[in-house]
Amino acid sequence: MKEPILKVNNLHYSYGTGNPALKGVSINIYQGEKIAVIGSNGSGKSTFFLNANGVLTADHGEISYQGTVINKKNLKELRKNIGIVFQDADNQIIASTVMAEVGFGPMNLKLPREEVIRRVDEALTYMNILDFKDRPPHYLSGGEKKRVTIADIIAMKSEVIIFDEPTAALDPLNAQMLEEVLVKLGAEGKTMLISTHDVDFAYRWAERAIVFNQGKIIADGTPLEIFQNREVLKQANLKRPAMLDVYEMLVEKKMVKNTNDYPTSPAELKILLEK
Amino acid sequence: MENSVGKSINFIKTSEKAQHQATYHHKIGHKHGEGSAIDYYAYASKIRHWNPGFKVAFSFTTLLLCIGLNNPFVSIAVILGMAFLTVVKGGLPLSAYLSVLLIPLTFILLGTIAIGVDFSRQPLGQFNLYLGLGYIFTSVDKLQEMAVLMLKVFGAISAMIMMTLSTPSAEIIGVLRKAHVPKLVIELMNLIYRYIFILLDVFNNMRNSADSRQGYCDFKTSCTTFGSVASNLLVVSLKKSNAYYTAMEARGYDGDLVFLEEEKPFQISHLFIAAGFLFFLLLLWYVTK
Repeated sequence: MKEPILKVNNLHYSYGTGNPALKGVSINIYQGEKIAVIGSNGSGKSTFFLNANGVLTADHGEISYQGTVINKKNLKELRKNIGIVFQDADNQIIASTVMAEVGFGPMNLKLPREEVIRRVDEALTYMNILDFKDRPPHYLSGGEKKRVTIADIIAMKSEVIIFDEPTAALDPLNAQMLEEVLVKLGAEGKTMLISTHDVDFAYRWAERAIVFNQGKIIADGTPLEIFQNREVLKQANLKRPAMLDVYEMLVEKKMVKNTNDYPTSPAELKILLEK
Repeated sequence: MENSVGKSINFIKTSEKAQHQATYHHKIGHKHGEGSAIDYYAYASKIRHWNPGFKVAFSFTTLLLCIGLNNPFVSIAVILGMAFLTVVKGGLPLSAYLSVLLIPLTFILLGTIAIGVDFSRQPLGQFNLYLGLGYIFTSVDKLQEMAVLMLKVFGAISAMIMMTLSTPSAEIIGVLRKAHVPKLVIELMNLIYRYIFILLDVFNNMRNSADSRQGYCDFKTSCTTFGSVASNLLVVSLKKSNAYYTAMEARGYDGDLVFLEEEKPFQISHLFIAAGFLFFLLLLWYVTK
């Protein structure tokens, strides 16, 4: 068995008001996994992410990164290796030019100036926003801001990238752009965790899905397993992906052969129908 | 991706925007959002790539000379020189430049009139005007003094405006940092600058949503709505600052706010031209004093 890149053991966390947000979360995450984190609003996804990055300190439980248990001293190592792309870009963008913004993380890593510049250029090129380099963030559109926030994390060269509801508030074109970036990052072997309410996206993109409900993980498996488990779906108030319904209907009506080769996108279904 | 290319072209076409303003918004006047217009002009300026340190130092020396020499000819030279830099070199449309100048100009006029004109019970001075209760009076000397003062202040202001209309705030802050202004002040300036636009955005959204629900239908309602929007804004900004801090920490912020700044090469030719201009001012002062 491989050693997990991130190991979370029995994590408990409650906010100042005393309401527990996480009630014993344990999970092992392995290098290169593409994980969809699903669950209703307030189920503890964001709290879990902030704990995983070390911004929040758990009341109880431990987190280890590549076998090292995280404590106050090596917290910085955790933040360097686990990057979060926040849901609201305006809450993440802090500097007054795109260049300064993307350079913020690398500057905090205390890298030499030349290295910071190199990484900023690299990240901006990666996200196709090199032209915006010296523009202030308040003259960017929502989709462009999102790209800047992703470039922020790419410039830090984090091993694990967490996206907190990245597709929220994006138009279809930008959402597609985002998905392309995710595929590209996945091909480079980055470990990714994405929280989303878009079950179709989760079904199509993820290799593994984790379902949060009331501060606990209630299911962990492949998206297919999770979305076929009606009990879990009911408990977490989730919808089934449209493609899954369509496929099962087609099988039921004997229009396609049941090969257990579940299509996740219209393109895949087309191939199946043309067989 | 296409839309972003379109956007960047839009961004460059400020002159087109100004053209639109000139065609459809005839008066030299103000619309909402004039404050951020200045910020926008600075980003669109053609002399933005000049070394910011040079621009700040040059406009500051010009300002000092303009005030220190106290000479109307020098003031006029400064006004013309700065207008040349901003409009011709910087590519800012003249109407936009005048519109920006209109704000300080109003203050200058109001302020200097108070110096040139005085009140009295008796008819005094070379010119006076009886107003029932008393006289307002003035003299040629007084008027001259007023004109000189007006030119001086106007010159000083156009030097500063040349700087603001060609140098984005982030770069000015960078210059201040190099000038060893305390770190705390610099960090605050950076954050406040970024935050202004977020607050403006949030405020606009709140105001629009209140407006759409008849929140500004009469004066009394407007006052109540304004109060609620203001208090809501405070709560939102506290929340936002929390979210901000979280996001900063997530990227390894540990108490030192350091930003990457672009180094803009310093051109020797600029130095010579600037020195020439300053020398010309001194010469002008010497000849006309």
